[in-house]
Formats: sequence, structure tokens, C-alpha cells
Amino acid sequence: MIIRKIQIDNYLCYYDSNTFELSEGLNIILGENGEGKTKFFEAVDWLFNGENRELDMLVSAKKLNETEIGDSFRVRVSMTVEQYGEKSIITKSFLAKKEKANECSTSSFVIEGISENSSGERTQVDGQTLLDRIFPFQIRKYSMFKGEAELNIFESDSALANLINLFSEAKHYDKYSEKGTFLREKAEKAVEDSSKLDKKNESLYKKLEGEITLLEREKAKYLVHLNSTEEEIRKIEGNLQLAESHVSNADALGTLNKRIKEIEEKISHLTGRIDENYTTSLFDENWILVNFESFHKEFAEKVSAHSKTRREIQSEHDKQQGIKVGERKAKAELLNNAIPLPNNIPSKAIMEEMLNDEICKVCNREAKKGSEAYEFMMKRLKTYLESQVTEQNEPEKDEPLFKYDYTNRLDNLSISHEDNLKNLRLIRTKIKELFEFNDDRKKDIEELNEQLEKEKTEREKILGNSSIGAEKLSDVLKNYNAWQRDLKNRNQDQVDYTTKLKSLESELKAKKEEKDKIDTSSANSFLIKTRNILRDIETIFVDTKEKKFDEFIEKLQTKSNNFFKTINIDAFTGTIVFTRRNKINRTIVEVELQEDGRTFYKPNQSLLTSMHISILFAISELASEIKEENFPMIFDAPTSSFGEYKTAQFLNLIFETENQKILLIKDFLHTDKVTKTLSIKKEFENVRRNKAFWVKLERPFDPNNLKTINSQVITL
Amino acid sequence: MARKDDILKSFLTHELLESKYDFRKEELPNTVREALNSDKPIIKAIALIVEGLDGTSPVTDSVLRNQVTQFLNEAL
Repeated sequence: MIIRKIQIDNYLCYYDSNTFELSEGLNIILGENGEGKTKFFEAVDWLFNGENRELDMLVSAKKLNETEIGDSFRVRVSMTVEQYGEKSIITKSFLAKKEKANECSTSSFVIEGISENSSGERTQVDGQTLLDRIFPFQIRKYSMFKGEAELNIFESDSALANLINLFSEAKHYDKYSEKGTFLREKAEKAVEDSSKLDKKNESLYKKLEGEITLLEREKAKYLVHLNSTEEEIRKIEGNLQLAESHVSNADALGTLNKRIKEIEEKISHLTGRIDENYTTSLFDENWILVNFESFHKEFAEKVSAHSKTRREIQSEHDKQQGIKVGERKAKAELLNNAIPLPNNIPSKAIMEEMLNDEICKVCNREAKKGSEAYEFMMKRLKTYLESQVTEQNEPEKDEPLFKYDYTNRLDNLSISHEDNLKNLRLIRTKIKELFEFNDDRKKDIEELNEQLEKEKTEREKILGNSSIGAEKLSDVLKNYNAWQRDLKNRNQDQVDYTTKLKSLESELKAKKEEKDKIDTSSANSFLIKTRNILRDIETIFVDTKEKKFDEFIEKLQTKSNNFFKTINIDAFTGTIVFTRRNKINRTIVEVELQEDGRTFYKPNQSLLTSMHISILFAISELASEIKEENFPMIFDAPTSSFGEYKTAQFLNLIFETENQKILLIKDFLHTDKVTKTLSIKKEFENVRRNKAFWVKLERPFDPNNLKTINSQVITL
Repeated sequence: MARKDDILKSFLTHELLESKYDFRKEELPNTVREALNSDKPIIKAIALIVEGLDGTSPVTDSVLRNQVTQFLNEAL
């Protein structure tokens, strides 16, 4: 599609009828500030997107001034385009009626469309429909840019989604990943419901479900932390780089930063080696026993004394026992080893009867009380009775003297303490060595801290030798060290969060596997198989979508860098890098410049503009490929940071690019200091272009009186 | 080739089908129509989803779910 003509009638500074007959390729519209460039851009923008309100603000003051009260005139912007050999004219206009001096009423606007086929046959069509057909709204969005700031389309989070919708087949895959998740979730639910019918594992299952939910919540929380930490790191790195860019001696600063980082790492390493966890050592390493030896000695002596006493008692006891045994043995020997009669013969009753009758009924002799025979019988009875008592006591004879052998245990304890004494004696040395080690490391750290301070002072000196004003510099200095500290802390946070996430993920995996195990034993097997297949399908859908996104981004990146190299020929050799980041609910793309893999956070405006224009050209080229046609691009003051020389270079380079471009710039104009007359500089002759215009206010004019303002269009 | 066939093909080139399901590239269908007649449940299920989302008459979420799960529950 080519814009062949733009006609602007009575629109602000464009008094009466003004025509721009445009060409394919590069069209340059020159103009001083305030002489009609931006109004041209706004007129085209009004044609494309303008709303039906405050139309009286768009009326040419000069035209209104010349109109009689009660008379009307038309305010109009019209565009003639050529597409596939057909011509279309789209006109947006409204009627302005002068009500009194400097005041007018307006009608609503109308958009008219005329379609003209190759044989010159014209048909009236709906203007808006025609516009949207030949120059779709979404593409218009990437066709018109006002100023340098607007060029950065990736400022908006929705940019990627828009571009993908327009230019990539990746858009078709979005719904698949969504549906894949939906189907998998339903299948998981079916399995869960089936598993829950099995009451055997009910409570364990519930517990697992609860734990999984908690872990997932925790994981999401840490993902948010990690994301925002990474964003913070990028911000801080950007701030530091900006601060560093103000410093004249950037190399020295780089070296200093490296050294500071190394010293900080050393300090951190040494601090890590200092072990001052004395409480743990006190108990776990038995330091508390450092003075144990004297207590042990006292203990050992007591145990030894006790043991001796015990042995003595035992020995006395054993002796007594031996005597008893000896007595029994001696008695036995008295009978000449003959077996003595049992004590119960004659029986107790007979003995008592014989004593009572005073007759020995064994030998049938009288045994009067007091006689030898009577005494003998009496003795026998006594022996017998004693023998009965002894028999009852006899089992007690075998009872040990000490029922429990605590003394032995005390002995063993004392021996084991004795063995440990060797190690305990070393504790004193260990403590001494540790204290010495910690003291030495502390001294090292102190030295390093001194070194660090020196390096930091040196860095501040370098930062002080800066290219920015003192007030701003003090801000930078104030923040610089804080940013460095923040960066260190955030980097640590990043490591911590990543580790935590990893552990949460593995815990989650274990729980899910446990739950799957219950599912396998409890749920219907076909439900499990369905779920497993749907899990795989979800993986396939999500991966494919990401792959398509990445392919698109890669394509955009390659194209952008091709343009970037062309625009920045002989200059900065960095690369535009697109990075896809998955936010919680959406995917966004971040664009950055990198030099040797290092992010270039704060490029100057001219570099930034080159980058943004390169991306826009890349998008335009993509649009050409996908829609199989070219669309025009209109830029108002895109290169204001370039300077004339670079602008000329830039124009010569984009002259080579394919599609139609309309560029409004204020360069190449010269105002004579004496006569105040405007002219076009000679240098513009060397700028390659297909067509050029000069919009210039008719002289003389009064800048404070709009009625004198009329932009004239001069075709060069 | 219809868009739905392109979409199907890009899913079927996923390495999981080769690594986990042991499908050889040459035995994979080229069109949704072929895939709907496949004797491999995962292929047919993917084809059902593609047909449901990018076929001639797109279906609602619940219809899609019924079609896919019913097929899988019976086939497995």
C-alpha cells in the first residue's frame, strides 16, 4: 500500500487547500519548529483515529477570520492510496459555520470512501470500512510515531501480545496451552474423586492434598519474590551504569569496582570461616568438660574406695560362708564318713513319748529325768527340732550378698572417663587454637576493610571527576555506594530464592509422586491413564507455544539487528536482545542492548532511537512478509537527538529500505541571522530521498495571532 | 496445507512422542483427518483437540472435554 496523496484543507495552520503528492520510498518533509510539521502528522492521525469532539479546535483561524458570519466552509483531510493496482480515496471532513467573530459551530465529521478500480471506475463506499480494509487498525498502530519517546513500543507490556496477534502464527497456540491445562485439571479432578472413594487412604490423601496446595502457594510466593528481585537487580545495575556513564575515567572505575567486588568477596569468605558459635561447641564439642579432670579424679578415688570396701565386705561374707561349709564338712567327718541316721528316727512324737514316760523304748531301759539316758534323749529331740529349723533357713544361704552390682558399673564408668580424658585434655588446645584462628581472621578482615575503604574513597574520587553538575553529582555519589550494597544484597536474595524454589519444587515433586502412588492403588486405572496422557498433551501444548513465541522473537531480533547494523554503520557494535519473561499471568518481552553479552543499560538517546527505529523497521518488514504487502510509516521528529550529520547518514541508509516512509524533520534549514530568512542548507542536496517537501509559514506572520498563520507546502 | 494440519504437525514433532511413546517420525500422520483415524490414543486425542479448536465447527470447552476424555477413557 502506498499513500499517493495527502490533502489538508483548512485544518489549523493549513489554510485553504494544501496537497502533498507523495512518492514510494523515502519522503522527507522539512520544517522549522512551529511551522506545520507536527500539524501535518496530527492531521493524518485525525484522519485515522480522530474523535468527533472539539472539532472547532481544528479549524484554520485564518480561514475563519476571512469567512463572513453565517457562511460555512469545510475542514478536510483526505488521503489517496494505491493498493493492488486500485486507487482509494478516504476523506474525513466536517463543516464549520462562522457564528460570530472568532467563533464557529461545527457539524459532526463524515468519512467518505471512494474506490477506483484499474479501469478508472469509481464507487462510493463507507470510508471507515475502506480505511480499515486497506490499512488495518493494528498495523496503523505500528506505522505512526510522534517524537523519539513513542518509538519504544516495548514500553507497554501488551506489545508482544499485539505483535504476535498481528504477525505470528504463535497466536494460534495460545488457546491450546490454555485448553491443555483445562483438560489436564479436569482429568486430575476425576482421578482425585475416584481415589477419595477408597476410604483406606482417606486421611493421608487429604493431608497430601493440603500439603501440595501449601507448597504450591509457597512456590508461587517465591516466584514473585524472585521475579521482583531480578527486576530490582536490573534496575540497580541500570542506575549504576548510568552513574558510571557520567564518570570520565570509566576504565579505572571498572577496575576499581572489580577490586572492590573481590575484596568484598574475600571479606565474606573470611567472615564465613570465623566460627564463633561457642554455645554449640560448649555442649556439642564437650568444651564444658574442659575442667573435668579434677572432678574425675575425685570420682575415681571414691569409686575405687567404694569398690575396695565392697570387696572387703564380700570377702568377709564369703569367709563366713566358708566356715559354715567347713562345719558341715567336719560334722560329716566325725561319723567317719559313715552315713548318719536321719534326724527323724525315732520320730518327734516317739521321742516326746519316751521322755514323758522316762523310758528309752529303743533299748528298753529306764531313763529317769536328770539321768544320762534322759539327757541323751532330750539332746536328740533338740537336734531334731534344730534340724527342722535349719532346713527351712538353708536356701537363704545361697543368696548373694549384693543383689545388684552397681559398683561394677561405677568402675566401668570411671575407666571410660579415664579413656576420654586424653581427648578432654586436648579441648584446651582446641579452644585456644580456635580463638587464635578467629582473631587472626578478624585481623585479616580489618585489614581488608581498610583496603576496601581506600578503594571506595578512590572510587569516589573518580566519581567526583564527573561530567555532570555538582548537585546531581552529589545525588549520584550518595546513591552509588547504596546501590552497590543493594546489588550485593539482591544478588544474595536471588541465590536464596532460587535455592528455596529448587527445594520447594523437589518437595512438591515428592508429594505429588506420593499422591500419584495412592491414585494408582485407589483410582480407576483408565482414569489414571487418561490423566497421564492429558498431562503429556499439556506439556506438548505449552512447549510448542513457547517454541513458537521464541521463534517469533528470534526472527524479530535478527531483523532488528540487521537494521540496527545498517543504521549504526561504523558506530556502536552492540546487539539488540529480546528476552521473553514469564510473568504470573502473561508473557512479556524485554528489549535491551548488549555489548559482548553485557547489558548496556542506559544508552544515549541517539542510540536508543536507532534501536527503536530498527525494531520498527523489523516489524514493518514482518508485516510485509505476513500480509504480503508493504505499509507506509510516518515519523514526526524521530531523530531529534541525532544531530544533522547523523540524521543525513540515517536518511541515506533508510533510503535503502523497501517500504514507503514519511519523515518530518527540522534539520537542514538555516535562518540568516541578519535578514531572518530561512533557507535549505546545501548539505540536504546530498541526502538521498525519493521526494522532499518544505512546510513553511507564509511571511510575514505574527506568532501571537493565529489569523496570520498559514503553512505553505513547497515541493522540493 | 490447512492451518489445523500445520498446528497438528508442530505438536507431533514434540520430542516427548519419540522419547516416551517411541513413535517414529515416519509413522506420524500429516493431517488432522489421518490423525483422527490413528490407533495411538495420544495422537487421536491431540487431533480431537485441534479439530475442536481449529476445525470447521469449533466446540465449547465442555464438549471438547467430553469428546477427549470419553475417547481416552474408552481407548485406554
